Amino acid sequence: MSLTVDERWDLIDRISRETVTVGEYKETLTDVIGEITIKPMTGIPVVIASLYLFWSIFGSFAGFFTDGFFVKFFDQYWLPWWQLHFPDTWEWLYYIVVGDPLADNCLEAFGMLTSGLFVAIGVVLPAIFIFYLMLTLLEDVGYLPRLAVLIDTILHKIGLHGYAIVPTILSLGCNVPGVAATRILETRKERFVMMTLLAIFVPCGAQLGIMQQVIPETMGLVLLYLVIGYFVTGFVLSRIIPGKSPEILMDVPPYQKPLLRNVALKIWMRMREFFTSAIPFVLLGVLMVNVLYLAGFIQWLSSTLSPLFVYWFGVPEATVGPLIAAFLRKDLAVAQLSVIEMTWYQMVTAVVLVSIYFPCLATFIMLLREGWTELLGSLAVLIVVVTVYGGFVHLVGILAGVA
Amino acid sequence: MDYDDKGSVKDIEGDLQDRLACMGIRKGKTIRMITRQPIKGPVVVEVDGADTSLGLEMAKKILVETDR
Amino acid sequence: MKVLLMGHPNVGKSVVFNRFTGVDVITSNYPGTTVEYSEGSMRAEGEEVTVIDVPGTFSLEPKDKAEEVAVEMLEKEKDAVVISVVDASKIERGLYLTLEIIERGYPVVLALNMWDMAKHKGLNIDVNRLSEILGIPVVPTTAVSGEGINKLASVLKSARPVEVETISGRAGGRA
Ligand SMILES: Nc1nc2c(ncn2[C@@H]2O[C@H](COP(=O)(O)OP(=O)(O)O)[C@@H](O)[C@H]2O)c(=O)[nH]1
Ligand SMILES: [Mg+2]
Repeated sequence: MSLTVDERWDLIDRISRETVTVGEYKETLTDVIGEITIKPMTGIPVVIASLYLFWSIFGSFAGFFTDGFFVKFFDQYWLPWWQLHFPDTWEWLYYIVVGDPLADNCLEAFGMLTSGLFVAIGVVLPAIFIFYLMLTLLEDVGYLPRLAVLIDTILHKIGLHGYAIVPTILSLGCNVPGVAATRILETRKERFVMMTLLAIFVPCGAQLGIMQQVIPETMGLVLLYLVIGYFVTGFVLSRIIPGKSPEILMDVPPYQKPLLRNVALKIWMRMREFFTSAIPFVLLGVLMVNVLYLAGFIQWLSSTLSPLFVYWFGVPEATVGPLIAAFLRKDLAVAQLSVIEMTWYQMVTAVVLVSIYFPCLATFIMLLREGWTELLGSLAVLIVVVTVYGGFVHLVGILAGVA
Repeated sequence: MDYDDKGSVKDIEGDLQDRLACMGIRKGKTIRMITRQPIKGPVVVEVDGADTSLGLEMAKKILVETDR
Repeated sequence: MKVLLMGHPNVGKSVVFNRFTGVDVITSNYPGTTVEYSEGSMRAEGEEVTVIDVPGTFSLEPKDKAEEVAVEMLEKEKDAVVISVVDASKIERGLYLTLEIIERGYPVVLALNMWDMAKHKGLNIDVNRLSEILGIPVVPTTAVSGEGINKLASVLKSARPVEVETISGRAGGRA
């Protein structure tokens, strides 16, 4: 037998009248902070301050470990050791595993054990670690729902509501959990818009980490282009895609003190994920790129695509190579780009292209799991966006006289 | 439709009633508005000591009789 | 025996799950952390029990994809015992979902989680009376500290389906 909605509530009222008594409640400091951080007048400055704090901790922590330790270790001991001791019986094998015998740093060598491990462990690992530590704290404290409320108005302009900030932030760590989190959005339209934007415009933590390390001078502009792209594309999509964009309706949980055990556990799980899936992919990426170079495929592809890259995007044809690696890992692609000879603005354009042009394999598989039609739709949008937006970035450069 | 501080829920329009009920916002409950975001942003209300945020259009469908 | 952990988002289901099974699933302080179900196992009263952490749902009429998964899980596992995890400080709306599950004929155990928070808010719940009215085991828990978790595991076997009419009959006067 089942009750109607009203009967059920009626029954609940009767039950609770008999069993629940409400006592005195004193407002605590937590509640006060809770309200301060959700009211626009005070909340928005808090958002800006936390963003700034987040960013500076991210940069300085990762830099501290990478510059202070890993760069020295990899360039002065690790690379020379392999260059000296790896048997050069087969030149191709040496090339794949160690890379350039004359390189004096691990970015240029580009062998699996040299650049591959340097990028994965020396650069990305510290970046990912600090990112996840801060993200976990934000999650466990309960800040994200408040952020969602504060940002709701802006996200409405692109057919999403405030809660879309959660998949977006998760994607800044890694796009895979970001895409999974789109399932909490109510309509198919919202999910599609969100997934597409994540896949195209949100760089992952690994990519952010390596950018910060090897091309910090381009970072600001690249991020600005990505943010603009996110909103413009979202704005356009929300107007073309049929379907509803519902309003926000969400619990705002009280702040809680994060539990050490839980924080440690989450970081451990995420790091484990990094070691078991990201590192092999980085190594595989180096392997693939090297094999394709040896086979002459990348050279062929570069010259074939040269007109598009040189005239339309305004970047050297050598940037085609890194785009291949970007299929597997974006961090690797950025590392590759950083050693190519080009102007500052060309670097900006190339990094924007690497970010938007195709989601990495892991994200691609995740999108596939969300459905074929969604995936094909996202890819169609992606192709249009890459062509148009890439050209736009070039155009801006021309107009500004820097490209 | 009231944006005052505190009141009791008189009525909720249409099918919204069921959805809000599951979030704890029902007829007869005391509701307190914590904040309202600018430019047609969402509001945050407190019912039974729990905070919920909801879009302005939804909030407009809640009829509140204010105490004071 | 199969056990489903069901309840609103962010009430602590995943923490209970971790406590039960030792399997680690991600928990966070925002709604919608668990969008897929996880499965684990534990021993309760000498019996092997499969525990499933179901994504949070507000009611059995789903409104997003994660909630659909939740309702599908429930419909698939016809013989499962359901632990309805509610946030004790928001007990009324938790009871709504609990009643819905009871009405579908599942044996239910009610876990009043976040017991610490409810206390802190000055809420007083008469657990024995609640259990009497509902006719199901009711256990106050604080999942983060582990309080009440063993008790919860030990009452699983005593869960029986109940008819809502009898609940209604036992609840006091007309509202
Ligand atoms: N104070 C308190 N917090 C809890 C309790 N149980 C869970 N939490 C916290 O509530 C949040 C949500 O827990 P989670 O298991 O992810 O909820 P789920 O969405 O139901 O799986 C986390 O921040 C937990 O640390 C409890 O008994 N007391
Ligand atoms: Mg969960």
